[in-house]
Amino acid sequence: MPLLECKGLIRRFGALVAVDAVDMTVEPGEIRAVIGPNGAGKSTLFNLITSTIRPSGGRVIFDGVDITGLPVHEVAHRGIARTFQLCHIFPLLSARENVRIAAQARERGRWRFLGGGHVLSRSASEADEALERLGLARCARTPAGLLSHGDQRLLEVAMAVAQRPRLLMLDEPTQGLSIQETDHAVGMLKTMLAGGGLSVILVEHDMEVVFRLADNITVLHRGRVIADGSPDAVKANAEVRSAYLGEFD
Amino acid sequence: MDFLGFAVAQCLNALSQAAVLFFISCGLTLIFGIMRIVNFAHGVIFMLGAYVGYTAIAVTGSFVLSLVVAPIVVGIVGMGFERVFLRRLYGRRDGGSYLMVTFGLAVVMSEAIRLIWGAQPLGAGIPAFLRGIVIVLNQPFPLYRVFLIALGIAAAIAVWQFLERTRAGLLIRAVSQNSEMVHALGVDVQMVRTAVFGIGCAMAALGGALAAPLVTAFLGMGTTVVIDAFVVVIIGGMGSFLGSIIGSILIAFVQVVGSYYIQELALAFMYLLMLVILVVRPGGLLGSEE
Amino acid sequence: MNWKLGFAAAALCALLPLVLPQYMLTIAVEALIFGLFAMSLDLMVGYCRLYSFGHAAAYGLGAYSCGMLLTHLHLPLPLGIVLAVAITTVIAVPIAWVCTRSTGVSFSMLTLAFAQLGYAMLYRFKEFTGGSDGIDGIPRPAGPFGMTVLQGKLGYYYLVLFCLFGSYLLCRAVVGSPFGAVLAGIRENEAKTRALGYNTRAYKTTTVILAYAFGGLAGALYAPFAGFASPELFFWLASGRVLIMVIVGGAGTLIGPILGGAGFLFVEHQLSQLTDLWPLIFGTIFIGFVMFAPQGIWGLIMRMFEKPPAAQEALAGEEASRAAS
Repeated sequence: MPLLECKGLIRRFGALVAVDAVDMTVEPGEIRAVIGPNGAGKSTLFNLITSTIRPSGGRVIFDGVDITGLPVHEVAHRGIARTFQLCHIFPLLSARENVRIAAQARERGRWRFLGGGHVLSRSASEADEALERLGLARCARTPAGLLSHGDQRLLEVAMAVAQRPRLLMLDEPTQGLSIQETDHAVGMLKTMLAGGGLSVILVEHDMEVVFRLADNITVLHRGRVIADGSPDAVKANAEVRSAYLGEFD
Repeated sequence: MDFLGFAVAQCLNALSQAAVLFFISCGLTLIFGIMRIVNFAHGVIFMLGAYVGYTAIAVTGSFVLSLVVAPIVVGIVGMGFERVFLRRLYGRRDGGSYLMVTFGLAVVMSEAIRLIWGAQPLGAGIPAFLRGIVIVLNQPFPLYRVFLIALGIAAAIAVWQFLERTRAGLLIRAVSQNSEMVHALGVDVQMVRTAVFGIGCAMAALGGALAAPLVTAFLGMGTTVVIDAFVVVIIGGMGSFLGSIIGSILIAFVQVVGSYYIQELALAFMYLLMLVILVVRPGGLLGSEE
Repeated sequence: MNWKLGFAAAALCALLPLVLPQYMLTIAVEALIFGLFAMSLDLMVGYCRLYSFGHAAAYGLGAYSCGMLLTHLHLPLPLGIVLAVAITTVIAVPIAWVCTRSTGVSFSMLTLAFAQLGYAMLYRFKEFTGGSDGIDGIPRPAGPFGMTVLQGKLGYYYLVLFCLFGSYLLCRAVVGSPFGAVLAGIRENEAKTRALGYNTRAYKTTTVILAYAFGGLAGALYAPFAGFASPELFFWLASGRVLIMVIVGGAGTLIGPILGGAGFLFVEHQLSQLTDLWPLIFGTIFIGFVMFAPQGIWGLIMRMFEKPPAAQEALAGEEASRAAS
């Protein structure tokens, strides 16, 4: 059974159709890249899947359950974690606390307002683990707002990972990163994903990153899916070529 | 009992109240639209207008002159406040600062008014040429209130034309939509903001100077009116000029109807209306979602 | 640092009545009550960035409930207070639920609207509430088992002190709990907190209810002490005062508002006798704090004594330079 199914997702903003009858299926363990020129509707699609905005039509089915229109926190709770295009972290809190709060979200004890020490320590050790996996252990105590841009992006991924999601959605994770930082980030991601068990949807502009990471690629253009398949198939697709005007080889 | 005449008189009554409310809330909504701040001191500005208007009449004997002096003086005070205090807060992450500072201003200004003019209500009364009655459908209706309605309509048209037809109005609308872009185009956005704050205060002061002959200038006239104005702006939609007109009329009618039928609940009606609207449409009737 | 300092503070407060003249004791009790009231608002303002312009409603609800319970039902004092807090908390639930539906200014206006509604209701139901006269002659009955210690000023002082310290410890626990950590997230970036899987509205609602509960406690302690409750308690200026106290004292520190609230009451009592200019001075000081020292008095003190993470200052520096450009 596919992990995620988007059926005929539509989203209009007034007269503009940002997402136009998009169908997409993601299998468990798959790494899917969503690419397309600017304005293709990639971020809107992301927002529809995570319920940050409501669709004008169509459905989102996650693990067999229709999650269309559920509140954002509910969708997150069911196992979809995401990062944002403009880095969203808690700037005044330490990196460790950032990730700890993310890890705490799964605990039943997250409601406790008296006591709850064991909840705090459990999530703290999970946070340390996540920071370790992403190579951020050295800046655990630094306020997140002071980290370099690259580290902030990795921190966001760490937070998403700490949520122990089944589907990880990364919105332009390498945006604004230098070549070295990008390389570092991609290396980290590859290691992390090597363990398997995690499905990923990745919006990316950097084709090198896409080809290094993705199992399959979905190409959006003007809100529509114009290609969907393995990286080689997509590379060969004429329509994709024309949409990008030959931006990649 | 001539019910139709009575109803019409009450409608006119409501419209005259709406006019005064419009002067205050229009300024409030313009300020919000362009600065994204809620000027909590707006009620006290209104009160200052009433007191300055009173003094203008006392000194010059001319009501018309007070309608010119009050807005100008208070507008300048408002611009001064914006330049000295509000400008420094623009970078703050925390939106609460504006609310706090304007609240502080409200406290300071009401105290200053008390110290300057004293605790007694001051009234110059309705000027002679506006005293008198107009007969509407066999019902007597105060001429002064008709004057208020006329002035309210005139002001609404004037502001509307100003926003739609003049270059300054265009600038104001542009800044309220996308200040960064306008700044990039070379316009001094700070100056626009100061100007709008001044205009908003001037309008509220005019409302005060107009209200004074009816209700006298008294301490505390700012507090209930600021809440009314907020209700108007929130219902009409924050930043929406049209919303301030519709909201003023709506609230004025609610108040007039409410206070006629169930005196004590008139106040409650208004808040219930605001609650209902905010629950159903958190952005107000015409405003955008926050 | 905290345990020792806290202990010292407790001891100091406990010994205070021994050095104060009788009439000052009254002010001391009121100061402590006001400190508690201010701290309750800090939960909303300092920890959740929910600026309430209607917190006087919590105080008024507590005061009136307690007043009515004691006057009409002749309950023993502690029971009256506890029930008053319970009533306030229950009424706070729909209020909190409605208010948290909006954010920012709308939230503030909604809280104000509820307070004004309460004010209007007091006049509407004159028969129960005494209208503009309020409830007068609230008794301070003997406690259970005929305990008369609370009827005297000294006994009452210790009751209030106990409630204040107890409430403070509870609030500290809340702030340091998993729940409190989520509040920090909401404060920093609510959208992100929601995306992590937290129902932020529920957290905000709970915070408001807690704030009302503690505010109600302050009001419930006030009514039998002062002996009366009047509609002014609900007035927006009362809400404004306590909000100012939280900010000037130091939002988000719990201690700051307690000191700010208590200190304000002392100063107001002394100064308002001396000068008519007090409200003007007070308003100006407030503006000064908002502009130049938004961390409040206690925030400044904490900066001086605890080595601030260099980060905080660096971040503050960044913000300041951004603001200047």
